[in-house]
This record gives sequence, C-alpha cells and structure tokens, in this order.
Amino acid sequence: MSEYLIRRLLQSILVLFLISLVSFGLIHAAPGGPTTMLIKPNQSPEIVKIQLHNMGLDRPLHIQYWSWLTRMLKGDFGTTFKAGRPVGDFVWPALKNSLILMTTAWVLQMLIAIPWGIYNSTRQYGFSDNTAAVIGYAGMAMPTFWFAILMQELFSLKLNWLPLSNMYSMNKIGQFSDLVLHMILPVSVLVIIGLASYTRYARASMLEVLGQDYVRTARAKGVSEGKVVFKHALRNALIPIVTILGLDLPGVVAGAALTETVFNWPGMGRLFVDMAFAREYTVIMAVVMIVAVVVIIGNLIADILYALVDPRVRLTGKGAASA
Amino acid sequence: MSEPVTTPPAPEAQTYTLSSKPESLWHQALKKFLNNKLAIAGLIVMLIFITLALLAPVIQPYPPAKIDLLGASPVPSEAHWLGTDHIGRDVVSRLLSGSRVSLLVGFTVAAGTVIVGCIIGSIAGFFGDWVDSVLMRFIDVMLSFPALFLNILVLAIFGGKFIYLILIMVFTSWMGVARLVRGQFLQLREMQYVEAARATGVPAWQIMFNHLLRNATGPIIVSATLSVGGAILGESALSFLGLGIQPPQTSWGQMLSNSQEYMLTNPMFAVYPGLCIFLTVLAINFVGDGIRDALDPRQKVRIPKGRLAQWRARFSK
Repeated sequence: MSEYLIRRLLQSILVLFLISLVSFGLIHAAPGGPTTMLIKPNQSPEIVKIQLHNMGLDRPLHIQYWSWLTRMLKGDFGTTFKAGRPVGDFVWPALKNSLILMTTAWVLQMLIAIPWGIYNSTRQYGFSDNTAAVIGYAGMAMPTFWFAILMQELFSLKLNWLPLSNMYSMNKIGQFSDLVLHMILPVSVLVIIGLASYTRYARASMLEVLGQDYVRTARAKGVSEGKVVFKHALRNALIPIVTILGLDLPGVVAGAALTETVFNWPGMGRLFVDMAFAREYTVIMAVVMIVAVVVIIGNLIADILYALVDPRVRLTGKGAASA
Repeated sequence: MSEPVTTPPAPEAQTYTLSSKPESLWHQALKKFLNNKLAIAGLIVMLIFITLALLAPVIQPYPPAKIDLLGASPVPSEAHWLGTDHIGRDVVSRLLSGSRVSLLVGFTVAAGTVIVGCIIGSIAGFFGDWVDSVLMRFIDVMLSFPALFLNILVLAIFGGKFIYLILIMVFTSWMGVARLVRGQFLQLREMQYVEAARATGVPAWQIMFNHLLRNATGPIIVSATLSVGGAILGESALSFLGLGIQPPQTSWGQMLSNSQEYMLTNPMFAVYPGLCIFLTVLAINFVGDGIRDALDPRQKVRIPKGRLAQWRARFSK
C-alpha cells in the first residue's frame, strides 16, 4: 500500500511539473506575450528595457521559468501586470468562493445520485428509473450555461423567488443566510446537470454486480434482499463509482467556469475567463497551477479510495495506475 | 453468430432453407437500427437540421447580419416569425445561419478527433511497450486538466479564429478515442489472423489498417457520432464566452452570448438558440446510442409482445 502510494505521489508530481512547463511555454509562445504587456506606445526603448529588467523578463527563458517555479512553491505568484497587485489577492478569494460552490454541489449530487442509482437498479425500467434516464439524456444534450440562463429567467425574473446573480446582495455582504439564498440557483444547476449521469453510473455499476454469481449464491442461501443489495452488491459496486469521482473532477472544475460566469459568481472559473481576456499572464498561470493541483489531489484521493475499497489494487499495485 | 432470437423471421411467411446465407454483421446492425424508434427519430431530426443548414442561404428570409434598428421588435410578426433581436436582426435568419457554423464545427471537430485519436491510439496499441507507456501518460496529463480552460486560454491568447477553434477543440478531445482504439488494438493484436499476417510478412502499417483498425470500426463510429454532440456543446460554450465564433458571423452559442443582457426585455431571445442546440445534440446522441446498440452483439432485440405470445402459443404444445 505505501509503495503504491509513493509511486502515485511521484507520478502526480511529474504531471504537475509537466503542466507547469506547458503553461509557462504556452504563455511565452503567445503573440504579444507578457513582454508586450509592459510596453506603452510613448515609452522610450531604454525605459522599456529597464522595466523588463526590473520584472526579470530579459533573462533567458529557463531561468525565468525556474525563478517562477521556485517562488510559486513558496506561495508567491508575483504581481499583476496592469495594477501591480499581488496575484494572491485575486486567486485565493476566488478559490475559496469556488470551493464553497463546488463542494456543496458535489456533496449534494453524490448524496442524491448514489442512493437513487441503487434504488433504480433494483427497480429497472420503473417510473423512477425512466425519469432518471430522461433527465440524463436531457442533461447530456443541454449546454449548462443555457440551462442556467433559463433557470435565472424562470426563478429570479418571472417568479422573483431567488436572487439573479452574485454571491451576496449589495448591503448584506458576509451574511450566511444571504449566501445560501444566492447559492440555490447555481448549485441546483450544477446538481441537476451532473446528477443524472452519476445516477446512471451508480445504477449500471449496481446492475453489473447484481448479475454476478456470488449475488445469486447469496440469494440462494436465503440472505435477505436488503442485505444482498447493501452488503454483497453495494460494496463491490462502489469501486467504479469511486474512480469516476476522481476522473470527472476536471470537468466539474471547468463546468463551473460557465456556471460562474452566468451567475456572476466570483470564483476561479470566472477569474480565469476575465484574466484570459485581460491577458494577465501571472494570474492565468497561477489559476492553471492551482486548478492542476486541485485536480491531481482529487485524482490521488480517488486512487487511494480505490485502493482502500478494492484489495486487488493494493496487492498488485496496478489497476488504478494503468487503467 | 446469428441466434434465432436476434433475427426473428416473420412466423408464417419465411421458410428456412439450409442454403440461405447468414446475414452479414452490418446488415444485421442496420436492421436493428431501423427497428430502434428513438434512433430513427433522432436521425430524422438530425437530417432536418442538416438540410436546413445546407439550404440556409437560399431559404433565410433576411441576410442574417442585416441591422434594422427601427424595425427591432422581439414580438413575432408576419415579417419576422420569431421576432428580431435588439438591433433588428431577424432571429429566424440568424438561427439558420448559425446552424451552419454550429454543425460545421460539430462535424469537423468530431472528424479531427477521430483521426487524431485513431492515429495515436493505433500507435500506442500496436507498438505497445515504452511507446504505449509514454503516450498513455501523456493522455493522463491531458485528461487531468480541464479542457475548457485550455480552450479558453488558447483562444484568448491567439484570438477566436475559426481554424484555431477547430484545432484547439480537436487537441483537447482526442484522448477518449485514442484510449478506445488502443484498448481494441490490445485485444485484437493477439488474434491469430494478426499473427498469420505477421508471419506472412505483411508490413506493420498494413496490419494496422487492414487487420486492426477495420475490426475496430464499430466502436470508433459510435464514439465519433457521440463526439459530434460534444463538439457542438463545446463550441456553444466558447462562443457564449465570446471566444469562439466572432460577429458578424454567428452560431447558436454566439447568439446566446448577449442574451443575458436582454433577459428582461426579451426572454425568448435566449430560448430559441438553446433549444436548437438541445434538439440537435439530443438527436445526434440518440443516433449514436442507436448505432451502439445496433453494433453490440450482446444487446438483444426487444421482441414485440404480440409476437412473443404467438411464439409461445406455437412452441408450448
């Protein structure tokens, strides 16, 4: 187990290193990369040169990369180009806001999807199962942001039940009840769009296990149906569900970019979109790296959970890594 | 291969003869597909949208970019069936012209995805060993980062040109197909006919194309179909953010991009393009699922209840 863990950790670090290299390279390859950001039309070349020197942008690329990397490891992301404010001032609050939204949606989704999928697997093609299938098809074919706009139109403009966008009302910043009120719409959008596919997944996973010989054996020796479903089947059905949690994490982080934009939620996704337009390269790189770290930690947790629920992974050390 | 259950003959009409040739796999699949009502409905809707898109320059009532500030009205009228947008552009014409871009992006990206995925998947699956490990780790890296972020980054830096849009969307979506093809290859390359081909000195690339890739066609077609829908959704998201298709060109996603500003005055403005995306992607997904079910030998044909009763009556004596 520990050997497996160490290998996965080393792999994660390698992946992070590659991502940092790619994002740094991409930004420096861009036409009008970071250097042109500083040059204003009426500046003399000498001043530009001094400025570039002060920012350290006249050094060879590999040295720039190394100093960026080492400072980042200490938590220093540098400053923005235009306003010169520390990047951390933008990134950390955005991360916090995103996590508030995402974890709520994530937990709710799982709390609904897994039991619902289990229920549907025991009553195949029943009303509840068909409902889930219809929602699933609709959710797969619908742009998330469009669904979000429709929800806004219905619940905040037409019915006037919920606030349209933002995290807090203007005069109630920091109030918990106001935050909850503002979260209802974006969280529902995220949950409803993602819900059906996880329900489907949980159901399929359960059905696969319920068709196994050992389940038939359990039934044959007179184990009660509840015990068969929850003890014999569920434990084994959880394995694929756990892996999909980790693998889908990037999609969830990205999907929130659109939801955050529609609802004007000041999170990572919206920050990234805004900063990409403004070409604030230091912020972009910081967001990229933080998202990468979050995603890789998610994958790592999924792998560890996978190893915990599936003894085969622990023994051979393979499976999750090669899957 | 052909169980009697999978190809039920009409009870009275058909007589069995020993010489009758077994149905080919593709023929069987086609029959199964034609029996799938959802898939056929999806196919019809998809064909309608494609026809409309192809005919758009002929049938659109107005030039889609024609601005008519004085005639701007969200209310449907004789002249503008679905009204106009805030600067008087006809919504029907814009939907039609947008459909061309959305569908073009959808199909082009799907084609690119399949080509790149097949090439990389084939190389990984055929050569195996360290080539496989390197490519698979690369795929892991690609998958561990949100594709949308990379799309946004590249398009914001390099500008929202059509060709960039296609290239970056292909670049961030080929991994699924590559994994699929690799998996198929790993299974197929142990087959005896591949061994035989090797032994008789067939060159590697010919084995790859004639023996391996051709036998993996089914799953590749399915994932190609399903990725059309994904590409249309992806384009709509990028255009919504203002990064994809740029005005005066239009796409369904681009039409949605400023719909939020006019939610109070014209809520229906946001509904039409979204509905078009929804219906198209739904139709394409139904077709994709239909093809998958048709090609899956494990999938049993659903037998109509009446016919089942007939059989029971005949055979229970």
